[in-house]
Amino acid sequence: MDFPTQINKAADYIANQWGTSPAFGIVLGTGAGQVADEIAVDLILPYEQIPLFPQSTATGHQGRLVCGQLAGANIIAMQGRFHLYEGYPVDLSTLPIHVMNQLGVKTLFISNASGGINPNYQSGEIMLIESHLDFMFRSTVHLSPPLGQQRPTQLSDLYDRELIEQAIACARKQNFVLHQGVYASMLGPNYETKAEYRFLKKVGADVVGMSTVPEVNVASRYSMRVLGMSVVSNVAKPDVLEATSGQEVIDAAAIAAPNLRALVVNAIDANEKPSLR
Amino acid sequence: MLDLFDKIQESVAFIQSKWSKTPKAGIILGTGLGSLVEKIDVAVSIDYADIPHFPQSTAISHKGQLVCGTLNGLPVIAMEGRIHMYEGYPLKEITLPVRVMKALGADLLVCSNAVGGLNPYFSEGDIMLIEDQINLMGDNPLIGINDDRLGPRFPDMCEPYCHQLIERALRIARAQDIVAHQGVLVAVAGPNLETRAEYRFLRTIGADVVGMSTVPEVIVAIHAGMRVVGFSIITDMCLADALKPANVDEIIRIANEAEPKLTELVLGVLAEEAV
Repeated sequence: MDFPTQINKAADYIANQWGTSPAFGIVLGTGAGQVADEIAVDLILPYEQIPLFPQSTATGHQGRLVCGQLAGANIIAMQGRFHLYEGYPVDLSTLPIHVMNQLGVKTLFISNASGGINPNYQSGEIMLIESHLDFMFRSTVHLSPPLGQQRPTQLSDLYDRELIEQAIACARKQNFVLHQGVYASMLGPNYETKAEYRFLKKVGADVVGMSTVPEVNVASRYSMRVLGMSVVSNVAKPDVLEATSGQEVIDAAAIAAPNLRALVVNAIDANEKPSLR
Repeated sequence: MLDLFDKIQESVAFIQSKWSKTPKAGIILGTGLGSLVEKIDVAVSIDYADIPHFPQSTAISHKGQLVCGTLNGLPVIAMEGRIHMYEGYPLKEITLPVRVMKALGADLLVCSNAVGGLNPYFSEGDIMLIEDQINLMGDNPLIGINDDRLGPRFPDMCEPYCHQLIERALRIARAQDIVAHQGVLVAVAGPNLETRAEYRFLRTIGADVVGMSTVPEVIVAIHAGMRVVGFSIITDMCLADALKPANVDEIIRIANEAEPKLTELVLGVLAEEAV
């Protein structure tokens, strides 16, 4: 089966089950799952129920689509994403973004947990992704043309400036720290060595993670507006590097969760809502 | 999906049917360590072709057999002939022998490679203890569903090369008047040698030497919980602003000259394991 057919089958299934077209999509990274708890749920679809959808293998990821309303707008949320380190080919790992587009998503919120490289960052803070560095060696540009609405990929405006400005204003008003910076993506799954942290710092990265870049590249092909939010799990100090623990990631996520929620709700409020059906 | 574990067991069972000892260390005889095999009191040598699931080596001057025996009384298992990514093998296949070494009981991995020197304070023929690494191969042997029996999903890499073993090797080098540095290895896929611009780039991001191997094996060894000591022989200097065409005969001559020194260091490091 070719890729466009695969996209269509999955999208048709979701559209038939839900009967609603979402304008907003959200990909919830490690520990950000509780943002989905705020959604007034119409429907929950475990990935294994959706025809041709990949299955999640990562620990701490639930693996389901949550369909409903947040801040009065229709939204579709991915709880659990597909990482390249799990072994998915890049097109399969980004299938949900193609499906979201097919369902009508125009604005994508995307979050992840990352390792801080910028020494001014602290664990639990959020960085808006202003740009990214792709060290995954897996191109998405050879993908089958999007159905009917292709445009040349313009990597210069991957992350929507207006959404960033709105988020910064929101954080100021609500009095929490919000950075903007550069997200470097690595294949993983091993954490970085000291030498790799130093390398990434030197080339301009503020945080490093193992996701998001392929999804954002696909979203940009559909001209989606993207707001990327990276939760800083721990700040690597290459000169006194300590082992990274899973607990740090979970603790940082707990600190960041209410702020992530505020940014998402603010972005929905600040932007035109499509009429609810 | 989780067939790697079973493959390892089959390889192990085959090797154990030929050799009953439990190895303390696994050794990858890369460039510059070839003659170490002469110091091994060999019990049995097994062709890769005979071992279930083992990859075959195609590289020139690499033999392709697993040597089992004792080195100064220490049971070791050594790979004579290493497999490279540029030969077209998936990293999971390339690193299978390391998994097998661990499953046989080895908790220490010794490896060596030939590298180009980027740090201008190094010279041809010098030895560098690998202190850290940068993976620029564009791939990773741990990609895929993680088998928790083999190691953790997200292995930490804050000290991939055992500092205690680095100190030991440097101490032995000083005592024997051998030039030995420590530094950062960057691995690229190859097989072409780097351009001047790439050498500048690699130096800028913090690498002291560049090679086309070792990094995948070390990632897997760390995943498996092994200690690692890695030696690089600087076979040619890759200074972007004074670059000469690489001369393969010259590189081999320098590697051969360095070989006795590297052999001494490895023997010294392993002698202190045999307690």
